Amino acid sequence: MYKYFTNIYETVNTLWTGMRITFRHMIHIKRDNVTLQYPEERWPRPERNIGFDHKDYNVIRSRLHVDIDDCIGCLKCERVCPVDCITINTIKTPTRGEDISEVNHTGETSNGTKKAMVVSRFTIDMSECCYCNLCVYPCPEECIFMVGGPNSSKHPIDYEFSQFDRKDLIYQFAKKLTPDQKKKLESPKPEVEA
Amino acid sequence: MTVDFLIDWFSTIGNFPILAFILAVVISGIPLFLFMALNAMVAVYAERKVSAFMMDRIGPMGQGPGLHAGKWGLLQTVADAIKLLVKEDTIPQTSDKLLFKMAPFIIFIGAFLGLAAVPFNSSLQVVDFNVGVFYIIAVGSIGVIGIVMAGWSSNNKWSLYGAMRSAAQIISYEIPAGLSIIIPIMMAGTMNLQTMIQFQSGSIWGILPNWIIFNNPFTFLAFFIFFISAVAETNRTPFDIPEAESELVAGWMTEYSGFRWAVFFLSEYANMFVVSGLAVAGFLGGWQSPIPGMFDSAGWGLFWFMVKVIFLIFLMMWFRWTFPRLRVDQLMHVCWKVFIPIAMFNIFGVGIWKLIIG
Repeated sequence: MYKYFTNIYETVNTLWTGMRITFRHMIHIKRDNVTLQYPEERWPRPERNIGFDHKDYNVIRSRLHVDIDDCIGCLKCERVCPVDCITINTIKTPTRGEDISEVNHTGETSNGTKKAMVVSRFTIDMSECCYCNLCVYPCPEECIFMVGGPNSSKHPIDYEFSQFDRKDLIYQFAKKLTPDQKKKLESPKPEVEA
Repeated sequence: MTVDFLIDWFSTIGNFPILAFILAVVISGIPLFLFMALNAMVAVYAERKVSAFMMDRIGPMGQGPGLHAGKWGLLQTVADAIKLLVKEDTIPQTSDKLLFKMAPFIIFIGAFLGLAAVPFNSSLQVVDFNVGVFYIIAVGSIGVIGIVMAGWSSNNKWSLYGAMRSAAQIISYEIPAGLSIIIPIMMAGTMNLQTMIQFQSGSIWGILPNWIIFNNPFTFLAFFIFFISAVAETNRTPFDIPEAESELVAGWMTEYSGFRWAVFFLSEYANMFVVSGLAVAGFLGGWQSPIPGMFDSAGWGLFWFMVKVIFLIFLMMWFRWTFPRLRVDQLMHVCWKVFIPIAMFNIFGVGIWKLIIG
């Protein structure tokens, strides 16, 4: 009989303890909330540390970006890419270092180099890219770089560049050329040939 | 009271007793149905939020119309209701089709009829029976028939198990609930809900409101026994072995979908409201103000009644998101070996108390 009552007492006591815990969680929801309202809120970007102190390596690499006005079409990045995700097509210009306004081409880079090529295609397939950063080093004009890291002040970091279609992950950096403009550029000009 | 009032009012216009009765019932029934739907919507939203907060989540959180459902997910239940109404309503091929179609409406009728006797305030009550307590208890048991019908007609092992468990559970827990609700009847000397609430006016020693729960230790105990039995009767966790998602899929609701399932949901939340309303009327002073002698008008009466009922419904949600489910034998143990002896002891104690103290 004694056990019967202690049993009831224990039951009520433990139930009350459990209810206190859930109530405490309920009123402290603002503090304890674990849900992140994803598109509106994001986790902070983690610091990267590869094991030794180096300012060029201890940065987050987000994705490749090309300042196409600075590109001289030297194909160094295409050649160095270990997974061949960069493809560049160029057309030789008749007049080196001069603007061609109808295709929006600037003749000089920001470093003052005169461009001999019109870059008609510059695509990076980000679904193949392995983020090795190797294409960044050979570039003579420093026009291809990883967004984020040292450039994060210039280009905000974006680590969630998802797309609905895989084709959308092939980034087009070159200025759009219509087939007519392409033909005109490719065909040698009569007076030059003469 | 509303029905009586309407019948009286119609008799002043002309002599058409049958038509007047039907009109009065329809006119007071439609707001009741709308109230039931609103109650279910608000309660589902509240339940989702309460459960989320207790688990450190934040629950439905839409940011605006369109893809999301309103600010703070306020339109979530509206979206859910629309989804349920446009969903395909499947009927299993091997089911007993007549019973299968009837079952949700029998459960609905049980909940709906119970709501008719709930005293919202001193004048707002659809019918003021002189056996109101008995009526609510009796009508509440109609739901069991619907549950057993749903379980049987689904022709599904989970449904049948769920229905049988539900029948066993509800029949068992009617006994402690009934024995405990006898105590307010003993105190007030009436089964009429309005008279019972009027009995609870005034105060004890000028501090506590003169509610039956505060009258003596036996009534205090009886309230908890009644309330826990009521939770069991509405098939809610920790007494949700008839539904038991982890073992019985959804119990007797397994085969239902679309509108019929929505009716089950509506009835569940209406049942919660009815049993909470009965507990409030019987033990917590109904529409009486908690501060004796203040805020006593009819409008405040409605407010106090709703506040008390909402608190009890919150308590049910609190139970649900805290306690694990009882096993079948534990369930029966709690009912027959703990609640019923204590409830009988309470009746005895209250009798002695009334005899000695008055």
